[in-house]
Amino acid sequence: MPNASKSLLSYGVPALVLVAAIAVFPSLAPNPYILSSGVIVLNWAVLATAWNFVGGFTGYISLGHGALAGLGGYATGLLITKADLPSFVALIAAAVLVAALAVPIGFAALRVRGASFVIVSIALVLILLLVFQSWSSLTGGSRGLVVPRPFPGMLRPEHHRVFFFLYGGLLLIALATWWLLDRSRFGMGLKAIREDEDKAESLGTPTFAYKLTVFVISAAFTALAGGLYALWFGDLDPVFQFSVLTGSYVVLMALLGGVRNLYGPVLGAIVVGIALEYFKVEFGNTPLHLVTTGLLLGLVVMFMPDGVIPSLTTLVQRLRKREDSSIREMSAADLAEQRREREAANS
Amino acid sequence: MLVFQSVILGLLLGGLYALLAAGLTLYFGIMRVVMIAHSAFLILAAYLAWWTNERLGIDPLLSLVVTVPLFFGAGVLLQRGLLSRLRPATLTMMSVLITFAIALIIEGLLGYAFSGTQRRIQLGYGTASFDLFGARVAVVKLIAFGLAVVSLAGLYLLMKRTQFGWALRATIQHQDAARLVGIDTERTAGFGFGLGLATAAVGGTALSLDTTIYPSLHWHWIGPLMAIIVVGGLGSVPGAAAAALVLGLAQSLLQIPMGATWAQTVFYVALFATLAVRPQGFFGGRLAQRF
Amino acid sequence: MTLKTVGLRKAFGGVVAIDGADVEFRPGKVNALIGPNGSGKTTFFNCVTGMIKPDEGSVRFGDRDLTGKAPHVIARAGVGRTFQLCRTFPRMTAIENVLAAVRPGGIWHGLRSAHRRSETERAHHWLTRLGIEHLAGAEARNMSWGQQKLLELAGVLMAEPKTILLDEPAGGVNPALLDRIGTLVRELNAEGRTFVIVEHNMDLVMSISDHIVVFDRGRPIAAGPPAEIRADERVLGAYLGV
Repeated sequence: MPNASKSLLSYGVPALVLVAAIAVFPSLAPNPYILSSGVIVLNWAVLATAWNFVGGFTGYISLGHGALAGLGGYATGLLITKADLPSFVALIAAAVLVAALAVPIGFAALRVRGASFVIVSIALVLILLLVFQSWSSLTGGSRGLVVPRPFPGMLRPEHHRVFFFLYGGLLLIALATWWLLDRSRFGMGLKAIREDEDKAESLGTPTFAYKLTVFVISAAFTALAGGLYALWFGDLDPVFQFSVLTGSYVVLMALLGGVRNLYGPVLGAIVVGIALEYFKVEFGNTPLHLVTTGLLLGLVVMFMPDGVIPSLTTLVQRLRKREDSSIREMSAADLAEQRREREAANS
Repeated sequence: MLVFQSVILGLLLGGLYALLAAGLTLYFGIMRVVMIAHSAFLILAAYLAWWTNERLGIDPLLSLVVTVPLFFGAGVLLQRGLLSRLRPATLTMMSVLITFAIALIIEGLLGYAFSGTQRRIQLGYGTASFDLFGARVAVVKLIAFGLAVVSLAGLYLLMKRTQFGWALRATIQHQDAARLVGIDTERTAGFGFGLGLATAAVGGTALSLDTTIYPSLHWHWIGPLMAIIVVGGLGSVPGAAAAALVLGLAQSLLQIPMGATWAQTVFYVALFATLAVRPQGFFGGRLAQRF
Repeated sequence: MTLKTVGLRKAFGGVVAIDGADVEFRPGKVNALIGPNGSGKTTFFNCVTGMIKPDEGSVRFGDRDLTGKAPHVIARAGVGRTFQLCRTFPRMTAIENVLAAVRPGGIWHGLRSAHRRSETERAHHWLTRLGIEHLAGAEARNMSWGQQKLLELAGVLMAEPKTILLDEPAGGVNPALLDRIGTLVRELNAEGRTFVIVEHNMDLVMSISDHIVVFDRGRPIAAGPPAEIRADERVLGAYLGV
């Protein structure tokens, strides 16, 4: 069974490496700072994987997932402080709340194609920033919201270690869910939407319901990551929670690693996440962050929209079997071009 | 009286919104591109106007002589050099990312060059105002409105009366058909983007006259502008103008009971309501049906 | 199950693409829809399959009213279609292209593996039947034009439609493949599937269809068996503009 061995190689082995890395990293980390950086990178990895439920399967690009994470964080914090829920009950409740809120948001954003989804995703960040800054009686406004620690009395390194494992567990669950969907009929329908939404619909796929469902799943995982962040960091500020930058980092990570690949967003999160931490230490918070992020995003989109892993794989394949092209090459772009010419001629 | 004052201010603001939304609508009509960087260019133009005034000591309006052609060229370059090279199949999504990236770069460079400090032009006539049926209207607001109206009128005449405008409208309505009747749609699309960006140059200069500017200000503009073009029915210039006036007026009036910050939410409420109830927009535009 | 439209009308701005079309296709037969360029055939297809909502009139399939229903609802009611200039899922393999047409049931059904034995076998059956089984693992974008056309048809067949609408099946294919497509349509029809074909290639239309509807300026002007249509002066008039 060549198929089975291939899937073992491309899913199983990286999974083992990932589990092993999560298991040993805390004991290898030389100091609490490195460990806390590890928590941040894992947070990015969960966010990028959660984003990829929408981006990877359906091809819809959301720039507003940062807002869903922020919402998860604030919901967790507020449920603890205002409703006196235990920390982790609040975390789950917050994820359920955000998932429920994702239904009307998705309803507005996904009823029509592409462009309005992007518009809504950006608008979501901007409106939530506005609301959370202004509604200071509830959210603390710009003064921030202090979230009580779930493990009072725990020492800082131990606290980081516990959250590293919590994030690691969440990442594995998110990856397992993605993998499950990827091989399911539901996932097949979603990928069909990504390839050609009209065509998918004409074959009987209820595209709107599919897109909405996967958006809600994505929102729930994003909210869990945001909620964990609130519990770990303990202090929320609207400017950081509802920043357009969070969403753009996530997109950059997922695209860089490759959105069609289970581990692509994780890889992207590790690379970009470490780079972000490094630059923060070396250069502090300068406007050049924005320039670098923008340049990188632009380069990835222009030159390797499929991500680094797939780009390298195709390069290797092309080098390996250059002559092996008995099947005529005709790209989707060529076909689309032909189709348009033809339609013009017929109208 | 307060209400009347707000109506006047709302209409003046709506004029500026209309001009900027016209630019966004052009991009969308030509290539189905949601141009996130539009408002970043707006703020860039405002900074250039401020810098002209600060360094050279001349009237910020004079910066238009440079920024309008400069932005026109940048628009052509943006379309020809970047957007037209994307694969048609993923154009809508990828073009959003490209223009988003450009917005980040502009914001970062502005922050680097001028720091995050808030800037404001000090004009001799900056505080002058006059009385209009009992409402106080600042002279600078009227100048800004005048600029917007003149540019919109110019755009309208260009679209309706000239050979280029005819080609541009044909390209927007049916690219393939336009190509069949011999229009160089590629070149026309490039110039269309140039025109769109030129509106940002005019708008930015008008904005700089009476607004405090800072690098991340563009996010406060792109949200309302995107809401306007959706409410107006993506791709329809008159629709966008109507939506701009209505929403500008609503924002201005809501400031009285709600305050400036909450009044801004009217744009987002309108955006969500439009998409949920009537995704094709309220002012026509058949392009919107499929987007 | 008869597919028919009553008073169907669709205008784009000021241009009336379909103008009150009453069309009834013969169940169990190969129907053809012909007409000059711009006579509204493709718009008609799009209205029938829900890609475009008609302004007026109704679409009925058997005793079901499909007017203005979403495309996936119409597909599940048993009306399948191909697109003018075929459309496949370019970055999915041939077998995945066919499997994508499996009808998802409820949630648990949807979470099952997309590559279950019974469905994969059925998908392979269709690939074999259309002669592209050897390409099962190839991505659609790497296949030739003709192979993609066959693949598109395989996907439609996988969804088990009772009536199949083909938009220009002969467009851009070589004579050998043209013959094969003609034979396939007749065979599949003999197994009980109804066909409606929009086609410009008159040889194909005349040789495989039982019933022909002629469109001109957004409405049918004639309908009948090939021999009758061939002799109809109105049809000649529509084509030649006299």
